[in-house]
Order: sequence, then structure tokens, then C-alpha cells
Amino acid sequence: MSHSILRAPIVRGLFWAVVGFVLAAALVGGIRTAMGLDFWNTTVDWVIAYPVALLGWLMGVGVWPQWGREWLGGKAEPYALTGWQRYFGFSPDHKVIGIQYAVTFIVLFLLAGLAAMLIRIELAQPGLQLFTSDQYNAAMSFHGITMVAVAVATLLGGFGNYLVPLMIGARDMAFPRLNALSYWLVPPVAILLVIAVGMGGWDSGWTAYPPLSEVNKEGQVLFNLAVITFGVVSILGGINFLVTVTYMRAPGLTWFRLPIFVWGAISASLISFFFTQAFAAALLMVLLDRALGTSFFRASGGGSALLYEHIFWFYSHPAVYVMVLPGFGAALEILSHMSKKPLFAYRWAAGAMLGIVALSGIVWAHHMFTSGMDPALHAPFLVLTELISIPTGLIFLSALGTIWQGKLWLQTPMLFALAFVFNFLLGGVTGIYLADVPTDLHLHDTYFVVAHFHYTIVGGEIFALFAALYYWFPKFTGRMYSERLGKIHFWMMFLGFQLTFIPMFRVGIQGMNRRVADYPAAYGEYNLFISFAAFLLGASFLFFTWNMLASWFRGPAAAANPWRASTLEWQVSSPPPEHNFDEIPVITGDPYGYGGAGPAHNRPLGGLAAGSEGGS
Amino acid sequence: MRRDMKLMLAVWVAVTAASLAVSYFVLRTLSFPTPGAAEDGIIDDAFMALTYMATPVFGLVIAVLFVAMLRFRGSGGPEDGAPIRGGGTIPKVWFAVTTVLAVVLIVYPGLTGLIAIRQHAKPDLEITATGSMWQWTVDYPASGVKIAGAKELVLPVNQHIQVNVASKDILHSFWIPAFRQRMDAVPGQTSSIYITPDRIGDPSDAAYRLQCSQLCGVGHAYMAMPVRVVSQDEFKAWLVSQQKTAEAR
Repeated sequence: MSHSILRAPIVRGLFWAVVGFVLAAALVGGIRTAMGLDFWNTTVDWVIAYPVALLGWLMGVGVWPQWGREWLGGKAEPYALTGWQRYFGFSPDHKVIGIQYAVTFIVLFLLAGLAAMLIRIELAQPGLQLFTSDQYNAAMSFHGITMVAVAVATLLGGFGNYLVPLMIGARDMAFPRLNALSYWLVPPVAILLVIAVGMGGWDSGWTAYPPLSEVNKEGQVLFNLAVITFGVVSILGGINFLVTVTYMRAPGLTWFRLPIFVWGAISASLISFFFTQAFAAALLMVLLDRALGTSFFRASGGGSALLYEHIFWFYSHPAVYVMVLPGFGAALEILSHMSKKPLFAYRWAAGAMLGIVALSGIVWAHHMFTSGMDPALHAPFLVLTELISIPTGLIFLSALGTIWQGKLWLQTPMLFALAFVFNFLLGGVTGIYLADVPTDLHLHDTYFVVAHFHYTIVGGEIFALFAALYYWFPKFTGRMYSERLGKIHFWMMFLGFQLTFIPMFRVGIQGMNRRVADYPAAYGEYNLFISFAAFLLGASFLFFTWNMLASWFRGPAAAANPWRASTLEWQVSSPPPEHNFDEIPVITGDPYGYGGAGPAHNRPLGGLAAGSEGGS
Repeated sequence: MRRDMKLMLAVWVAVTAASLAVSYFVLRTLSFPTPGAAEDGIIDDAFMALTYMATPVFGLVIAVLFVAMLRFRGSGGPEDGAPIRGGGTIPKVWFAVTTVLAVVLIVYPGLTGLIAIRQHAKPDLEITATGSMWQWTVDYPASGVKIAGAKELVLPVNQHIQVNVASKDILHSFWIPAFRQRMDAVPGQTSSIYITPDRIGDPSDAAYRLQCSQLCGVGHAYMAMPVRVVSQDEFKAWLVSQQKTAEAR
């Protein structure tokens, strides 16, 4: 027994990670000692030893036996794990990888949510109660970056991996082992962030603006390494989705017959692929400034702190669309299937997603209206940023047109999808105030901004994520969730969310700035209210977690197609067979053939018939 | 169908009217911090203009959601909704209307507000606020008064003031909620904003505080001090007292 535990992929990965780290650190220490320096220097050691440890981790966890041997002309081990053990190993199966992503990031979501609860305990009253200022900054920074990672990766990495091959009638992703590799880069990201917090954290938020991020504690170094690693995950995932959808669509599945969720996934992948490098490069430059004394961002050495902001936002504004585009896709998908009505203005919605991708790359400097950048940039970035409301408006048209005259089935996923429309409306409208230079001069860096981005990312994307989670839960697990617990979760989360974030708009306008552990007593009453509402929001996840765990282990068996939906993933069993389709389906129509509006995509007339209908 | 559409239009009008009323009577009078400068109007007016323009959009979405949830219910039965695909003129009209709305927003209050906030006369007074971890150094160059680690910011009323913002170490940001505008303090460069305090301020009002509003580490939350807007005579007297204090050192 102990023998098999020692051979478990994660144990082997950790072993080689530690070996790699110790060897590299010893080498660095030896050279440093020979040069008359201290044996250990946290910054230098981590920057050099971490990549070695990362390589050890990847090789140990499965890259070497299942892939690496081929590079040297050997023969790779066959993929052997079965049952629950698949989830703890290097599996090339997109369905296993999808669940690995989804579960990992939902655990991180709950962890970062716990940090949010601690933040709200601290902010419930003026003064310092729970934290020191430094601990507050660490909790806030950890909450920020972890939630950003959750928002980027759960829908795209989790649901995208699981669903895209099924939805396009493919047996797997284009690069299954690359897919496994990108997932196994995620645990090091989480471990680094947790170690960073253990070392006292870092105090520069998720934005890591220098010069602060070049002079603060060493937790910053681990943050940078973690986020650069996460960037690699994003880029590799992006490439994989783009190639998969381009080359592996089933016969007859033309671009405009793709389910809208697939459009959301590839739009987001385009952004991941083209823009993520900028963030990774910016953080690498911060590391070089710190470790080698370069001066990319130091004015005293000819660098510029504003340069970082430009590079950072060049990725990090598009990144919000990496978060919300799959959210748009999931919400529209669910609105159509749960209204039993074709997706309204489908081509306009798909076009709007591409329009958002195009605009996303040329609006970044609206984050910098108060940064001291050249004022000549204000007008063009105001104009370009406001233009994003046009494609976003088309997404709303599609959502509203779809539910109009439908047969709305108000189960938990539909409630979340409808709440997405409401929340994203408030998030979108309040974004206009921040794209408008005069109002942004006052609102920038206040709780108005905090409320705005929580409305777009949590109210928009995370609500869509929960819609997706309940909607596809039966497909993923083969079991049905509890509708009653789901509805309790929905109503508590919806009300808790509104009551938490609506007052934040007001307290922000009033003059409360963000990222502070303490604030003037004048804002005390609002903050007390916000904290209690946030606890309600937090408590809703107890019902969620209980529902997920209990249903996954003991829930009633789910039918193959409990929602009577028309897309391909529902035409196979729940959960789907190992290679998805016994016979690759042939597609004869669009995915939303409700109401006899057109030829069926692949709609079963009398039960499970993947592929049989189209072939005839 | 007719009835549903009529109901939706009625809800749209009602929600729009109600949110307009709430915006005008509640938001406009209750939400802003104490206005303290002549330029505040540009910003507060832009805020309200955007709010008024948002109300019909808000009303429409709420109306469709409300009517759909009320009237278009199903229970997962075999019956499908109407096979409407939305490929005709509706998306074109929607696209045109939202484009017009976006262009209107860009011009007013966007670009017009930007032009208004940029227009400033020759300043009556120039001061420099230099941020460092975690305090402000305030310099009144014309009077030779320079206060490191200032405990308060003293400004004269009804004077057009150019505030130069600079930093000694990392990023900070100069923000006084009563004056609305802010500017980051960036090492290696000096950036300016123009403010005209138009009333005597109460330094115990949270709106009258100079607050660092760019995350700058441990002391960030406490990198703040009260702002005292005083009469011009009082300001002159204060400058003289500061010059004497400096000489006495």
C-alpha cells in the first residue's frame, strides 16, 4: 500500500520538485559563497530554483513517463489510471482535465472567498480589529489575484475543456498531452501563492505596480513567479482551443453552426493567446529589476513606472474579456435551451464577441486617466472604450430576444443565467462612468470601482459560471443536484450580492478609496451593512458546497439529456463515454432548432442517437 | 403577444420614470461628497447626465426580464417557444440605436466634459505636493514655505490653484474628495491638476481630506490629512506664521 502511495503522480511530482529546488538552491548558494555573498538570498534563489523545481514537478507528475521518453526516442508509458485516481494524475482526457480545472479553481474560489470574509470582518468598523495594515494588504492581494485566476480559468479551463470537444463532435482536444501539461502547471501557481502568504504575503495587490513591487517583501517574488506560470497555462490553453475548434469540428459543423459557448471559448482564447505575454513580460521585468538591478521601471535608472502600467493593462484589460466572454457564451447557451427557443440574433452575438476581442486590445489606457500619462491619450481612449458598449449591447439583445416569448424553465441554472443579465447590466452601465474621463477623475480607485468590477466579474461571469455548473452538473457527474439546495444557494447569493455591492457604489462616490484597511468614521455605517450582507453572500456557498458534494456522491442518477437540449454534449450518456462518440456525428443544422424553426442540429427524436440522425 | 408587448412597454416607461425620479431626487442630492471647488460641477453634472441617459436602458432590460419571467413560463415540458431567430431588422435597428447612444455619450458628457475640465486660467497660486512613504511634503514656492510631513493642507478660498504632484519614491495619488479630481504621484515626473476651492471647508468633513489613493504599502490607508480651506486673509496670515516657524528653526 505504502508502495503505491509513493508511486502516486502527485507524490512523485512533489519529490522531484523538492529535489530540483534543493539542488538549484545549493548550486546558487555555492556560487554566492565563492563570490563572498550570503549563501541564501530569497529573491535570487527563488528566481533560479523555482523553474528547476517546476521542471521536476512536471516531469515527476507524468510528463516524463507519458511524454518525455518519446523525445529521446523511447516509448511512453500508456495512460493507466482509472476511476477517481484519474483526477490525481497526468490524464490526457479532456473530460478529466476539465474536472481537474473546475474542482481546483472552485476550491481556490472558496479559499479566496474566505479571505474576502476576513476582509469584511476587518472593514465592518473603522479602526483596525482583525488585521494589521500589512496583513490586510496581504489578504486583499491574495483575494485579488486568486479570484482573477479563478475568473480566468474556471469557465474556460474547466467548462471549455470539458465541453468544447463534445460540442464540436470531437473525441478530444487537438493536443491532449499539452492540455494535461497546462493543467499540471496550475498546482504550482496555487502552492506559490499560499507559500507567499505564509512568508507574510505581498502588499501590491494583484496589479503589482512598481516601484512598490520592486521594494516590498519577498512574497512579491513568489507572486510574480506564480503569475508568470499562470500566464503559460493561459497561452497553452488558448492555442489548444484555437487549433481544436479550427480543425476538429465534426462534418457539417460550420462556423455559424457552433454553439455560442464555443464562440465564447474561442474569443477568449484569441485574447489569451495574443495578450497574456504582455503581463508575463511586465512581471518578468519587475523580477529582473529586483534580482539583477535592471531599471525598466525605475526613474532613477532611466526607467518609467508608467511603462509598467501600459504593459500591464495591455493584457489586463483584455483579460476581463477572457473572463466574461465564456460567461456570455454559457449564459446565452443556457437562456436558449432553458427557454426552448433559438438563440436570438445568433450571428450578431458571435460577431459581437469577435468585436469585443478586437476592441479589447485598444482600450487599456482608460485604467490610466489619473496616472499622469500624456493627456493627449485621454480623448482617444475615452472614445474607444465607450465603443465597447456597442458589441456588449448586442449580447443583451441576444439574451433578451431569446427569452421573449420563450417557455422559461426557471430551474437553478436558468435563475443564474437571468441574474447574469441583470447583474451585467449594472456592471456595464457603471463602467461607462469609469470610461468617461471627468467622472473617472473622481471615481477612480474608489469603492465605486470595486463595486463596478465585482458586478461585471462576479455578477456577470461568476453568476454565469454557477449557471453553467448547475446546468452541466448532470453531464459531468452522471448525477442530479438538489434543486431545493440550488434555489436556496441562488436566492441567498443573489440577494447577498446586491446588498453587498450596491452600497459600495454610494460609499465610493462619497469618498471611500479602495485597498485600505481603515477609513474615516463617516463611512462606518455603510461598511457595517456591507459586511453583514457579505456574510450572507458568503453563507450561500455553504449550501452550494453541500449540494455539490452530496449530489456528486449520493445524488440520483441523471438522464443523458435532462434539459431536453439540442446541442451535441446532451446526445451522449451522462457522463459521456471515454472517447465521447462511438461514431463521429454529422451535423445538418444549427444548434438551436427549437420550435421547428429549422433543421435540427442533432436533436434526438426518440432517445440517444448520437450521429445516427445526421448520417442518414 | 400584443398584450405582452403592451405590458412590457408600460413596465419600461414606469421603471424608466421611477429611476429618473430616484436619480433626480435621491442620487443627485444625497450621493456626492460636499462640493468644495468650482470644477466640481463639471464632474457631478457629467455623473448625473450619464445616470439619466442610463435609465431607459435599465428600464428596457428590467421590463423584458420582468415580463418574460411573469408571462413566458414553461416547466420543461415538450412544448417549445416561438421559433423567432432575430435575423431581420431588429438587430440592425438595435445596432444603430446603441451606436447613436454610444456616440452621444462620447460627445456629451465625454468629450465636452474633457474639454471643460482642461480649460483653466492662469493660476493665482502654485503649490507642489510630493508624496513619499507615507506622508506629503507641501511646498508653496512663491512664499518660500515648504512643510515636510505636513499634518494638514491649507488652501485659500476663491483662488485658482495649480497643484503639482510628484513622488520621491513609489506611486502615490493626490485626491481630495471635495475637489473630485485626482492625480497620481509618479517618480521622475511632475503632473498637475487645477482646482478652485469656492467655499470655506470644514476639515472634520471626510470629503475635506487629502487621501493617498494609489496603493503604496503598509501606510497607505493612513497617508491622509485634513484639508483646511480658509479665507485669503487667513491664508496670508498662516503663510507668515509658517515662515516664522521655519526661521525659528
